[in-house]
Amino acid sequence: MDTPLEQSSLEALLESANLLHSSLDVDELLKHLLRSVMGRLAVGRGLVAVEHGGTLRLAHVRGTRALVVGDVFEESRAREAGFGFFVPIGDGPRPLGMLALATPARHQLSEEERGFLNALSGIAASGLANARAHGQLADLNRRLDLRVQELNTLLDVSRAFAQASGPDEVAQLLGLTLAGQLTVGRHAVLAIRGSHPPVTYQKGMRLPWPSPWLGALESIAEATLVERLPETDLRASLEQARAVAILPLRASSATFGLVALGARSGARPFRESDLAFGAGLVAQAVVAFENAWHQREILAKKQLERELALAAAIQQGLFPAELPRLDYCDVAAVNRPAQQVGGDYYDALTVDRSRSASRCLFCVADVSGKGLAASLLMSNIQATLRALLGREASLAELARCTNELLYSSTPGNKYVTAILLDVDPSTGECRYVNGGHTEGLVVRASGEVERLPATGLALGLFPGVDYEELTLRLAPGDIVALYSDGVTEAQKATEEEFGVERLTAVLRETAEACASEVVQRVLDALDDFVGVTPQYDDITLLVLKRLRPGSAGQPR
Amino acid sequence: MPHPFVVHPSSEGDLTVLGLEGYLDAHTAPEFERAVQEQVDAGRVRLIVDGAELKYISSAGLGVFMSFIEEVRERGGDIKICGLAPKVRQVFDILGFHAIYDMLDTRDAAVRRFAEAPTRQV
Repeated sequence: MDTPLEQSSLEALLESANLLHSSLDVDELLKHLLRSVMGRLAVGRGLVAVEHGGTLRLAHVRGTRALVVGDVFEESRAREAGFGFFVPIGDGPRPLGMLALATPARHQLSEEERGFLNALSGIAASGLANARAHGQLADLNRRLDLRVQELNTLLDVSRAFAQASGPDEVAQLLGLTLAGQLTVGRHAVLAIRGSHPPVTYQKGMRLPWPSPWLGALESIAEATLVERLPETDLRASLEQARAVAILPLRASSATFGLVALGARSGARPFRESDLAFGAGLVAQAVVAFENAWHQREILAKKQLERELALAAAIQQGLFPAELPRLDYCDVAAVNRPAQQVGGDYYDALTVDRSRSASRCLFCVADVSGKGLAASLLMSNIQATLRALLGREASLAELARCTNELLYSSTPGNKYVTAILLDVDPSTGECRYVNGGHTEGLVVRASGEVERLPATGLALGLFPGVDYEELTLRLAPGDIVALYSDGVTEAQKATEEEFGVERLTAVLRETAEACASEVVQRVLDALDDFVGVTPQYDDITLLVLKRLRPGSAGQPR
Repeated sequence: MPHPFVVHPSSEGDLTVLGLEGYLDAHTAPEFERAVQEQVDAGRVRLIVDGAELKYISSAGLGVFMSFIEEVRERGGDIKICGLAPKVRQVFDILGFHAIYDMLDTRDAAVRRFAEAPTRQV
């Protein structure tokens, strides 16, 4: 009788072992175990309990309704339910499970039956251990897959951030990526910076932006749940928009926006690892936002530079392309703006074109301000002078009319200082008006110096201003220098100014030179004086020299 | 070099099918978002996204699905996804999309699912 039993036991063990190796489904293995044992020992009641979180829980119960699957296994209750034979699954102080059977009818198990039970229990223990390890491995794999996916996402989005066309696209990419990665339907990305248009990317949310509670974002952690926020307007707004998580957008200087996320799909909670992932993505987005804004600023600056270059080109067009060639007189002028677009202006207008030796009006002016505004004012005064020239009886009247026109056509803080010199080259008779401009200088052939001080206020400043017109006569060899304060107020590093004395000295030393050479000598002297100190103001100089009889430039 | 991505819209009866081809990543997600937005704006909320020709999807691409699903379902429609290659399908699975969206093997199966369940309740 022993032999067939042995054989069937071996067959059952072999079958169980095969099942253990072919399947990692622990449930199937346990069911098989229970079936085999109950059949082999001919008992009608059996159970398997499995260790879970420190306690044994019932996994399979056969032959009784007194015990329920899922309940904690207790030997006393099992005994009450008619179980009398208990076999721990797995060695060691904490068994992996428990196999329990009703006491066999014979009350006594043979050695061989015990051996069979122990062998089967050993197989079950391996199965449970394997399944447990496999379960952990599967769980580990899931987490690894998610981590790899997160890294792929960060890589993908960081490339896209780098090529984003602007802050709005950064917001869109950030919103979409967070929504996809965390399975969030409703979301909003809001940002604002300086004078840039506010960035609002909202899906299923309507948060007000820009918001008065922007400041309240400062004190918020890098990623948190709305329910953790203190009771503020910010929290009220977020709750109204059904936001669940919030991630402030924070640069080194200040918080400039936020990401609000609605609930995750399928009632999944935001875990700390989800918030950490979000915070990592947001940190990348912050850099992308700053870059995008910076790029916009550079573009705007380039645009401004292009406009300034254009203004400079226009302004250069305002200066006479070449000075009129006059009998008995030699004229030269220079303008060296401190910036791309300066505020100085000079002009030479022939008064009467019908005669070759006609009178000529010279003008050196300094308009208030610099850049585009100065350029516009400059073209304004040029147009005014040209329009009025020849119509007004005197320079004083010309200055008065120019003042009125400029006053009425420019804002109150814009004005022009100007010195106007009307020359008759054949006689050397001159008239001049100085509207608040730097004194002109007359250096006589004898070396004597005379000044041409202001004879009225700057043009365009006040209405109803009268200008005095003064006369002088240039003898052959005399020089007139009209200049802007950029010449005499040019400074070197010690803040010492070039001054009228140095200018006068240069003019005296160059008494025999032609006008263009005089201009060059003054510039050289200025450059020597200031050294490496950058030019602060526009430099304009116009030199008129009445020629001696017989010198070059005399009428042919 | 940017990866190519194309959306091919078509219809199956009263259902709108968006066939995706190529790489749906952070670069191309805005294009897909525009395509879905157009359908939703036109009142077409019964959408099948056929990913048979989809080579790659990133989270930004998945974000487009999430961005519209609530509105589409509130309006009695749904987005059903079909035809994904195993590698693409894996990304959906890792992030748990199978618990949110009906994911079918074929376009026909997606059409039939619409007949059985016009809106999936999550």
